[in-house]
Amino acid sequence: MKLGYTIIYVADVIATIEFYEKAFSMTRRFIHESKLYAELETGDTVLAFAGLEAAEMNGLAILPNDPSGPAAAWEICFVTDDVNAAFTLAVEQGCTPVSKPDEKPWKQTVSYVRDLNGCLVEIASPIASHD
Amino acid sequence: MEAYWSFTAKTAGSTLILPDGRCDIIFQLNVHKDQLPTPIITGPSTQPYTVECDYGDQWLGIRLRPHNGALLWKQKIGVAADTVARGNEALDLLPWLAELMASPITLDTMADKFESKTSTFNDQKLTSALDALHASGGRMRVATMASFVGCTARQLNRLFQSNIGLSTKTYAQLVQFHRTLNLVQHQQLKISSAANEGGYADQAHLTRAFQRFGGFTPSNIPKDLAIPELVA
Repeated sequence: MKLGYTIIYVADVIATIEFYEKAFSMTRRFIHESKLYAELETGDTVLAFAGLEAAEMNGLAILPNDPSGPAAAWEICFVTDDVNAAFTLAVEQGCTPVSKPDEKPWKQTVSYVRDLNGCLVEIASPIASHD
Repeated sequence: MEAYWSFTAKTAGSTLILPDGRCDIIFQLNVHKDQLPTPIITGPSTQPYTVECDYGDQWLGIRLRPHNGALLWKQKIGVAADTVARGNEALDLLPWLAELMASPITLDTMADKFESKTSTFNDQKLTSALDALHASGGRMRVATMASFVGCTARQLNRLFQSNIGLSTKTYAQLVQFHRTLNLVQHQQLKISSAANEGGYADQAHLTRAFQRFGGFTPSNIPKDLAIPELVA
């Protein structure tokens, strides 16, 4: 199998798509007419958002992400050559900063923010390949 | 959006109605008899009950979103759980039902009248709490839900009681029951697996919930049970 989708359940799909377009320079790929599902242009592995009602319709029980509480135990990670610029833009557009860009011993620059729904988003530079 | 529904009995018999914490506006008539329809307003249900019907009995109903219970019962919502107002009692609660009875009643006329007589519900804390509660299958703790919408557990409970007519905990237990019933009946999970995924401490707790809200054990679910689709 290959990883096809990361789908985050959110209270407001449209607001989330608009937020990701402004804060992370993403582009929308698709918004379903129900406004309960939308995808961003992220290449082969899709980053998508679904409304909380969709979870119930699918028979799932999920704990909604809470911006006022601790983040859930997962993150998404955007990779970019200019982490400082991307981090600054994200915070200017409303992300909560968690940790500023910092170069790690393995030569990767890593930063963390939380999005409007409280989800953990890492913005990092590419890692050199493991050849 | 509210749910509009109708049911016509093709034979005499009885039907088990599962509780869902919602209120209904119903007109009962019989398609073979020339009689005035009976208006009925149900309070938020927490127990199963059986409805007897004759051949041709028909019910036309509006199932309200959970937060709209107080539109019908107003100040009495706090004591409306598991109660039914029929006939004049229903007209006392909602006088405009009498306007509908002046002509043949259909779901369309009921919908139009309902929408013209009710205003938009505005408490976002309650609707957000309901969305989160439903998404969590009733498994979200009350304290977590309160924090999620930005109030105390006591304030949240007051919102539930004054709009839905049930405590937050009871409403959550109903959502949990319906989801777990679906897991057993339609997803065909083993009862032990359903208890775990449904959020019950063990199979005994699941059984107790099924008996309380359904009147049956998980291994004796009535075959012709109609399960409503419940979304917030």
